[in-house]
Amino acid sequence: MPIEAHYDEIARCNRCGFCQTACPVFRSTGREAGVARGRIALLRAIIEKRIDWSADLEDPLFACLLCGACTAHCFPALPTADLITDARSDYLDRVGRKPLHRLLFDHLLPYPKRLRLAARAAALGKRTGMSNIAKALGLLRFLGRDFPKAEEIVAQFPAQAFRDKVAPGEFPGRGESLRIGYFVGCGVDIMAPVAAEATLRLLQTVGKTVTVLDNGCCGLPALTYGDRKAARRLAAQNLDLLASHSFDLVVTDCSSCASYLKKYPQLFDEGDRRREQAVAFAAKVRDFVEVAAKAERPRTTSSARVVATYHDPCHASRGQKITKDPRDVLRSLPGVEYRELPEADWCCGGAGSYAMGHYDLARQILERKMANVARTGANLLVTSCPACILQLSYGVRLAKLPVRVCHISELCSPAEAGAVCE
Amino acid sequence: MANQQLLTDLRRIVGRGQVETGPVAAATYSYDASLALGEPGTVVFPTDAAQVAAVVKAAAAAGVPCTARGFGTNLSGGSIPARGGVVVCLSRMNRIVSIDPARRCATVQAGLTNLDLQNALAPLGFFYAPDPASQKVSTLGGNIGENSGGPHCLKYGVTSNHVLGMQVVLADGEIVRLGEAAFDPLGLDLRGLFIGSEGTFGIVTEVTVRIMPKSESIITMLAVYDRLGDAARSVAGIIARGIVPATLEMMDSPVINAVEDSIRAGYPRDAAAVLIIEVEGPAAGLKEQAAKIQEVCLANGCRNIREAKDAAERDQLWAGRRGAFGAIARIAPNYLVADCSVPRTRLPEALERVAAIVARYEFKAGNVLHAGDGNLHPLLLFDARNHEHLERVHHAGREIMEACVALGGTITGEHGVGVEKLEAMRLIFNDDDLDFQRSLRRAIDPAERLNPGKVIPAPTRSSGQAGGESGRSPMECGSEATAFAGARTSVPPTAGAALPHSTHSEEKSLLPSDAAEACEMVRAAATSGTALLPVGGGRRAEYGNVSSRELTPLRTDKLTATVEHDPPNQFITVGAGLRWAKLQEILAADRQWLPVRPPLADGCTVGGMVALAACGPERYRFGAVRDRLLGLRFVSGAGRLIAAGGKVVKNVAGYDVTRLIAGSAGTLGLITELTFNVLSIPEVSRAAVARGSLAQVAVAAGELLTSNVEPAFVTVAPDTAGGWRLAVGFEGFETTVKWQIDRCRSVQQRAGLTVADDVNYPVYDGLHAGTFTEIFARPFVLRVDLPPDVVTAFVTQFERVVAGASLLVDLACGRVSAGVDRLADGDWTAVCAAAAKAGGHAILEKAPAEFKQRYDVFGPPRPEWRLIQRIKRETDPHDIFCPGRGPRTNAH
Repeated sequence: MPIEAHYDEIARCNRCGFCQTACPVFRSTGREAGVARGRIALLRAIIEKRIDWSADLEDPLFACLLCGACTAHCFPALPTADLITDARSDYLDRVGRKPLHRLLFDHLLPYPKRLRLAARAAALGKRTGMSNIAKALGLLRFLGRDFPKAEEIVAQFPAQAFRDKVAPGEFPGRGESLRIGYFVGCGVDIMAPVAAEATLRLLQTVGKTVTVLDNGCCGLPALTYGDRKAARRLAAQNLDLLASHSFDLVVTDCSSCASYLKKYPQLFDEGDRRREQAVAFAAKVRDFVEVAAKAERPRTTSSARVVATYHDPCHASRGQKITKDPRDVLRSLPGVEYRELPEADWCCGGAGSYAMGHYDLARQILERKMANVARTGANLLVTSCPACILQLSYGVRLAKLPVRVCHISELCSPAEAGAVCE
Repeated sequence: MANQQLLTDLRRIVGRGQVETGPVAAATYSYDASLALGEPGTVVFPTDAAQVAAVVKAAAAAGVPCTARGFGTNLSGGSIPARGGVVVCLSRMNRIVSIDPARRCATVQAGLTNLDLQNALAPLGFFYAPDPASQKVSTLGGNIGENSGGPHCLKYGVTSNHVLGMQVVLADGEIVRLGEAAFDPLGLDLRGLFIGSEGTFGIVTEVTVRIMPKSESIITMLAVYDRLGDAARSVAGIIARGIVPATLEMMDSPVINAVEDSIRAGYPRDAAAVLIIEVEGPAAGLKEQAAKIQEVCLANGCRNIREAKDAAERDQLWAGRRGAFGAIARIAPNYLVADCSVPRTRLPEALERVAAIVARYEFKAGNVLHAGDGNLHPLLLFDARNHEHLERVHHAGREIMEACVALGGTITGEHGVGVEKLEAMRLIFNDDDLDFQRSLRRAIDPAERLNPGKVIPAPTRSSGQAGGESGRSPMECGSEATAFAGARTSVPPTAGAALPHSTHSEEKSLLPSDAAEACEMVRAAATSGTALLPVGGGRRAEYGNVSSRELTPLRTDKLTATVEHDPPNQFITVGAGLRWAKLQEILAADRQWLPVRPPLADGCTVGGMVALAACGPERYRFGAVRDRLLGLRFVSGAGRLIAAGGKVVKNVAGYDVTRLIAGSAGTLGLITELTFNVLSIPEVSRAAVARGSLAQVAVAAGELLTSNVEPAFVTVAPDTAGGWRLAVGFEGFETTVKWQIDRCRSVQQRAGLTVADDVNYPVYDGLHAGTFTEIFARPFVLRVDLPPDVVTAFVTQFERVVAGASLLVDLACGRVSAGVDRLADGDWTAVCAAAAKAGGHAILEKAPAEFKQRYDVFGPPRPEWRLIQRIKRETDPHDIFCPGRGPRTNAH
């Protein structure tokens, strides 16, 4: 929807400023244009024709993490992240769209194979020092000037993606009746294949069958960058894929994907046949953490002293209101001492590929997160989103903390739990 | 505002990336949390005082104003750039400089939020008392600008009761420190004057605040009412029973439902009103206090009252209250929040009038009240996109202010005047009052470079009056109320006490019979070039530096009327010439008292006490005399009767002239009338006395003052046996006092002190009246104010100077009072230097004239005294009042 359609909602901001409480961007920059109140004031000014669409708006609109912390502190609960997403779409239409956006959203993300190929090339570059190849491919450079610095965020790509090892298809499980579809997120596939394997193993203890889906990108990155059309296309592609299956649950171990898949219905207008399809689909979607909380816990016999803490991905805590499940899981693990992370639900600055485009800001946000991690004295930092894992791992390296970062699934599966804890 | 040179300068000062200009900056820094809008030119984000100072200088050179801003949550338009220019945004200045539990203070940068400070203090067992509901997003600098309150200020007082010192950038870019870790400043209370000045006197860059140990126990209650009036009556009833809850908050039905819609705080939706009542303090006796409160509530029509059973439930009740403004925002896009205060017994009437006004203007509305303080926040709901509504809502707001003023209240209790209440200032202040406040602005920021267009409305009087007092001859200074007679008033000689000082011409004493006559006398003095010395009891007439001019005493003997005594609202207004003892006698009839025990109390007038800001060690618990003053009237150097403050406990309308005049020692005018906030007489006043060495005393005091007992005072004096005698006073309910004394005893014993019998002391005289009499009988009286943790070390350091002295060491407030027979020049300068080095100051409360000729009794000059001189020159241009008495300075 064009931003003008949200005028009534935007007018509900009474400028109380409480969104400044927990906005990671504002707390780093202290800038009004970097917090919900300021961004909404700008949208209002656009609607009331007090300011024009121009490149001046790029930073206020695109420097938002879309973490949703402002909404949690907003009494009228204004959905600023959604408003910004729509405004980005308007911005791209009215001010301009970068060619590299097109490459990513039109030519890479819809096609898992191409994406893996690109990642492989990048991995090769990373491993051999020939990062020129990756740069030439433009995979990580699409967001522009911050890339040279942002590239450091990725220490090393795993040599093999999950999909390189595990082909799509049905796997038998030990569960009684559940038929589960495993939606493999791009990030987990490429950056956290170990987590993906652990997820698959745990799902096999729960489901009668587990099907590794041949899904494409969920579409969240496209929507985040304001490309609603691409987002719809990606969603439609996934809905079509799912239409040929009949699962009881569709599980993903990427909290961002999970949160977004649950929102698929919002992408389509009332009356659109896709919408019904999306509603039925969304009802079956579960975040891996929700499944793990109900599954049997592994019995590790590790003798190492494990002090774990948990970082809430924005798309889990605010996107899906999941905060208790992961803590229950961690508290129930034998031999693991759980300590609560101060400001656990503050965005880490990863925010999908945010850090790639806003390196300095993401790093400031990360520094606050790392200071909190250090305060806990934990040696294991657990989360459930690949972008967070990437960013947090970078943070740990920067801050030289003796902390290992892992996906919660790695602790839930008997084979890996011991290894992680050792 | 596209001043290229200025932009270049600003970028050089704060860095290129820390300057914003253009349409985005203009749109995002045009507002705060109020309905007002400004027009920012440039926004800068400095990181320290030096940068702020350089920015202020650069802006001055470019001829544009600066407006300080924190997180921009002001509710009266205080933080918007009303006249454009540079917005100095302190959001990045959020460092905690130091937290010092032993010294009971913390120093932070001005851009730190109130909650961030609380969160840093909590693990240490301390808290900072002012807790505005917006504490998550309001900064300490903003809290100072507005003199913020919060729910807990009912028990602990507002920001100005808790700020010890601050670093401020003045309009000319000079960086000064006002106040320090020691309690009371020297000379005028500039710190008190700057607090609540809404950024028009200076930009605060760093703050030193008083921190307190957390209370041992808290009981939080929710009282539910079917009638709004019953809730309001309960509030007055509780206070009247002598109980001071930590909070007494009230919400009405629309707010209750809005809160429940948003967060489910656990308020019953069918209630007409709820009260959140919290008592805190030592566990002993707290349950009894809660029971008394419940009794009062039930007797006033309360449906039911329950206690929060755990911290989670307590947090939930508070989350509802803290989120009340926001919750109301769900109902309509915008709200106008009024911020009036009324004497608390008038709350039922105030609420009725508000309801009638709101109904007449056809707005939906809700009420949130700091009911214990009589501070009400009606929230009028509307949509600012509708211009007719916007205009109408301001009219309704204006009528609400008028109604509350008519009930004896004020226009703003804590949100400030900003731009939204500028015109309403005229409801409570006349042109003379406003002119005086303008003269303060002229003294401190003559070019109006800082946050122009705020606090004081522009003059309306024609015929050149706008130029201010300094340019006018005394002939033109007549107020409209009392036309200048033009002739010297003949004055009968007084029969008062003889004055000791040789330069006082006793036979010419002036003895006004009322304030109007005093005004005439002052104007006459201006004409004839006479210098005046305001005199109360006359026993401290020699206070301060020696004047080079002959002083004519202006006596308050006849100004002794009791103007208004309102026991349920705990205030009394009396003439300045009323004796302290007589005031206590009047109050005693209602079992109330003024908890200030000045030295030489017997025979002192309340005017004299206030003029010298005199108090005793009980200041620790009850506050200094400034803290108990609600308002006053005085005759200014222009011969006009000026009103300041009011009679409600929360009042931030205009500059805090009350604090400025208290402690001004007659140098700015003659105080004629005072309004005090009084308390119920405590059930018991008892001191736990122990003996031992000074080192042992220091250990015991250190532990007591960082623990959660609540003594009225902690003092030590030399013992007749050669050791030291520690006295820890407790005043209040028998059970609470008894329990605290027991705890105090164990601390004393652990420190190795020898415990003596408890002493029950008289409530008015306290424990130290005799000691003060002895001290003031000596020719030299030395007072040193220090950070409390270094007091005993200081006494040890100057053992030789105070040997044989009449001595009282106030360990809680950090004050040494010593009466000595001799004071060597070198000793005085050494004491001054050592006090300054330790973060305090020394003053000679009394000294022979010969000594004063050679030394400033306030010690070596301080940079901020320049402001004192300017205030004096601007408000008393003819130097009528006590010329030369105040601190001297060479700086100009």
